[in-house]
Amino acid sequence: MSFKRLDPEDISISAESVVAPLWSVGEKYLTTFFTSSAQVASSTGDFFYEVYENDTDLAVPFHVQFAITYGHKEGKGAAPYASSGNIVDGKSPSSTIYGQYRNLIFGDEEVDFMFGNVASDDIYVINLDRARYKEKLLPGSFNLKLKQGSNIIELTDNSNDSTTVSYVDAGRVYDIVSGSDGSAYSGTGFSSDNGSYGKFLPDVGVVVLNSKALQAPASEEGIALPSNHTDNGAGTSNIQYFFDTIRFGASSSLQSEETISSNYVFVRVRNSEFNYSTNPSNITSSGELRHDIMINTPQAYITTVGMYNDNNDLVGVAKLSRPLLKDFTKEALIRIKLDY
Amino acid sequence: MGYLDNSIVTVDAILTKKGRELLARGDGSFKITQFALSDDEIDYTLYNPNHPLGSAYYGEAIESLPLLEAFPDETQIMKYKLTTLPRGTAKLPILDIGYTAIRLKQGASLAITPQTLNYLGSSQTFEAGGYVATIADARVLQTFNGVGINTPEAERLNSTTTLGTNVSKTAIGTSINITGTTINTLFAGQDSLQTTITVIGRDSGARVTVPLTIVKVNN
Repeated sequence: MSFKRLDPEDISISAESVVAPLWSVGEKYLTTFFTSSAQVASSTGDFFYEVYENDTDLAVPFHVQFAITYGHKEGKGAAPYASSGNIVDGKSPSSTIYGQYRNLIFGDEEVDFMFGNVASDDIYVINLDRARYKEKLLPGSFNLKLKQGSNIIELTDNSNDSTTVSYVDAGRVYDIVSGSDGSAYSGTGFSSDNGSYGKFLPDVGVVVLNSKALQAPASEEGIALPSNHTDNGAGTSNIQYFFDTIRFGASSSLQSEETISSNYVFVRVRNSEFNYSTNPSNITSSGELRHDIMINTPQAYITTVGMYNDNNDLVGVAKLSRPLLKDFTKEALIRIKLDY
Repeated sequence: MGYLDNSIVTVDAILTKKGRELLARGDGSFKITQFALSDDEIDYTLYNPNHPLGSAYYGEAIESLPLLEAFPDETQIMKYKLTTLPRGTAKLPILDIGYTAIRLKQGASLAITPQTLNYLGSSQTFEAGGYVATIADARVLQTFNGVGINTPEAERLNSTTTLGTNVSKTAIGTSINITGTTINTLFAGQDSLQTTITVIGRDSGARVTVPLTIVKVNN
């Protein structure tokens, strides 16, 4: 016998949640933020900026951590589309972005973004790179410091304060409040007059920030974030203003959460089984054991476990890190984990 | 290919090329139902029954062996299986398929009927469970199936066809029928195609691999 059937209880499927720092630096906090001048100057720069952990002009590795963008319901703050010189009022990259996220999050083109009880015509969005967040964001792990001049605000999602989870078309949604590690510093953590600071959507890797709350002065718990609400987009881009507040804030933390489904195979080898090897170095050309001592005290060394289906197809293999001695006095239990 | 860290005992598991193919097929054929053990990489000539420190050290040189990571090619791993035999066995089973190399013309057929030598007290026998034959590159054969074992899984396997790229195919039987491909384009300007056939005794675990050459005759 060289194949042994596995019992049903020898195979176990387990799903485990794996949490890890989201940033590619592998640490909890990301403190440096850079954009790429080439990307900003390109046509995509009208819509979003990609943000990196390192300066893209230096000879160091850099990876996109997230993209930031700005959306306005009426297309303000960006130059309107002007195909062949025909300007279409109210249609610009900012209106495209607003519509994109409204459709993604609510699945309804008639609704406005509501932060608490306050509607907002414009939004800032942080869109986490999928390679960073893997499957979803971990609620309670979002921390972002924004700084504009001497005004500083620390934002977090309110998942630890929420007794119920709210859902929109894009899955779970939490309010973004003044606080840290998933809890408001005091009360609801909302701004006094402008509602919450945004929405945290862990299932799609998106953070939407309320421009009203951020543009409000410090006396109203805002940071007086400058804004560009011109019809033609002349002047500094709102995306640039937003990036500067992140860069000067110099602190953000976030964790990813991924469900790994693992197939555990338990290989049980009884003392009387698998004690002889068909390895050609163990036998002569006529099949006799090379070492006489192995006739009555055979020894074999397990290096590899092959996993087969009913058709005898070898579908998976497991290598041990060192040879495992097997003889009539030893039994072995080998646990193999296959991740999908 | 790297070495595994042997400072602790760990298990490095991967799906084989065949396993990925079956997983992608999504028809349930991936299901793991049995296992086998092998001692690939072990050189038993290193076993030293004359070690001056005694029997605890006979296998010292083998146990120190750093092992390689697993190969995804199912035809290059699990070569030398461990097998269950009665204590006191002096001769291990070996396979005889009657050929040390097989050379077939395009479209020509051959039946391979393996025998097992030195198995369970018999000098020469046909294993009741039959034989598993694996062709490393299924494209080079027009037909590749086993006969003589009529279990559902053997019949299903023998009727399965995989189209496309260079993947292995397995058949089960007491006799394996092969026919060389008649497709000229596979030769790509060469006079012959080469691959290997591996035959394993399902009961004994004995294994033999022989080269297979398909010679081009069609123009």
